[in-house]
Amino acid sequence: MTTPMLEIRNLHVRIEEREILKGVNLIVPKGEVHAIMGRNGSGKSTLSYVLAGKEDYEVTDGEVLLDGKNILEMEPSDRAVAGLFLAFQYPIEIPGVATMTFLKSALNAQRKARGESEISTPDFMKAVKEAGKALHIDADMLKRALNVGFSGGEKKRAEILQMALLKPKMCILDETDSGLDIDALKVVSEGVNALRGADRSMLVITHYQRLLNHIVPDVVHVFSDGRVVESGPKELALELEAKGYAGFDEEQAA
Amino acid sequence: MHVPVRLGPAETKLIEQLTAIGAAAEAERLTGTGLPTRRVEAYHYTDLKQLLRAVPELAGAAVEASAPALRVAGAYQLMIANGVVQDTGTAPAGVIVGKANGGVLSTRDDVVTRLNNALTKQCLTLDLDGSVDPVIQIDRRTEGAAGHSTSAAKIFVADGGSAVILETYSGSDEAHLGNHATYVALGKNARVTHITVNLAAKAATHFASNEYHIAEGAQLRTLVINAGAALSRTQLFPRYMGAGAHADLTGLNLVSDGQHADITMDALHAVPHTTSKPLFKSIARGRSKAVVQGRLVVARDAQKTDAKLMSQGLMLSDEAEILSKPELEIYADDVVCGHGSTCGRLDEDSMFYLLSRGIPKVEAETMLVRAFLAELVDPIEDEALNEALTAVIEDWLARG
Repeated sequence: MTTPMLEIRNLHVRIEEREILKGVNLIVPKGEVHAIMGRNGSGKSTLSYVLAGKEDYEVTDGEVLLDGKNILEMEPSDRAVAGLFLAFQYPIEIPGVATMTFLKSALNAQRKARGESEISTPDFMKAVKEAGKALHIDADMLKRALNVGFSGGEKKRAEILQMALLKPKMCILDETDSGLDIDALKVVSEGVNALRGADRSMLVITHYQRLLNHIVPDVVHVFSDGRVVESGPKELALELEAKGYAGFDEEQAA
Repeated sequence: MHVPVRLGPAETKLIEQLTAIGAAAEAERLTGTGLPTRRVEAYHYTDLKQLLRAVPELAGAAVEASAPALRVAGAYQLMIANGVVQDTGTAPAGVIVGKANGGVLSTRDDVVTRLNNALTKQCLTLDLDGSVDPVIQIDRRTEGAAGHSTSAAKIFVADGGSAVILETYSGSDEAHLGNHATYVALGKNARVTHITVNLAAKAATHFASNEYHIAEGAQLRTLVINAGAALSRTQLFPRYMGAGAHADLTGLNLVSDGQHADITMDALHAVPHTTSKPLFKSIARGRSKAVVQGRLVVARDAQKTDAKLMSQGLMLSDEAEILSKPELEIYADDVVCGHGSTCGRLDEDSMFYLLSRGIPKVEAETMLVRAFLAELVDPIEDEALNEALTAVIEDWLARG
């Protein structure tokens, strides 16, 4: 059996005294797109932060393997270098850091950590321009400080632009559809779909089924009260939409 | 009964020096008051009686000059070494250079400025007319063995004139006491950028007092960088004297282990329709202290004054201290005056965002520190000067 891209084994996480993740088990094979659906407060965003390595969370049990390597002891920057990418639900605005400087620093930091040479400025400009075109990101937006004054849609498109440039193996998209109108949702989804490939897996976190009409998953996981309660084909999302999360909570209780 | 002030060795030495130079009145005054303690509001966080333990002998003539602290390509270089104006070379168009007797600051109840006025024998004078092209650098040095050196410069900028003036303070690696003064008078509609960079020796004490008279329609931008000396205090005394006078007063304390740096502004909006935007930042690491004080006095007649004072601090260690104090003294009733202060560590969410993109921690920190400083350095338009100032900051950051 080939090594899965992402394997989460019995992950328990708490913040201070409160347990948020209560034994998450999840496998995302290489090249697949999985969706996690769950209501607000079920622990979905915590999962994405824990995978990316944010402080404040205490992992009390379990393992997270990225392409067979346990990443829980790694610094966030090393996880990124190992191929993990989190598209933030709320991308952070950083005044004083130019978007282009940030993109180049991130790209070169990852290349350097992998023992590759730095990208030349012309090659970098070309790569940004190409990736930006599909996402309707113009030069004017790239001239601004990182995410500062970006609309909700612009922020999400900028996240996908980063993903396209950094070429991660494992993408986690945290509520990428939140705050998007239908046109923006299409642009972002097309951007994501263009990045699907045999060597890249994705975990799409959402609580609406509508995103999954655009980014069609291979597998849907239902998340409730800090764990995966059911997994199934994409049709599960429709069932969930019809029955509501309550139906799954009952099944779990039964 | 009047209880005499108990004088320490620093005060005794200063009184001795004042007496020797013939400034009997100042000597007597200092004998009566001593150096200011924390009970003097303007020195509340920079208690000179505590902090200034020793005063070296008055510096003799400089015999050899150390390497320049900062070079700006294309700048017109002037030097004052141990208080003495050096060869002024060939002045560029629009610049008349001269020397005069010392003492350039207005008399006020402030020991640092009084000492400078009393002890400075000679000052550099600059008369600037029209648009002066090269950056003018006044390179102030204290050379040789540890010495007490005072210096002064008086700069007049004609109506409609413009100039960029850089002052640097450095010298040999000794425990000097430097006390420097600059008076700048901006004529009507003049535009002046005045930058002062304290790169004094590690064990030195550095005082600088900059007084500005800003006439009608004149625009001033300052940037004070306090990066050197164990103890430093830069005082800014802007006087807004004509309608439309405006200043962007900015400053930066960069303090590392063992350093204490203070930027104190005391501003007077004297007439109606003047505006100012003082913005001071501090970065403190190790066991260090940065002080920012801003006092805004708005005279009774100075209606429509618009002044916004801001102090922002960034603490990079648990032992760092940043102290920030605004004082608003407003006698007019139709003004917009405000003040704000923020202080903290690097923003954790911003850090995590950069880290999550693969940028290593040290580099991410540097990016955020640079971002914090960008609004001070970005407005400096002269490219060579901007680069030189950026280099000063980068050097400080790299020293870790």
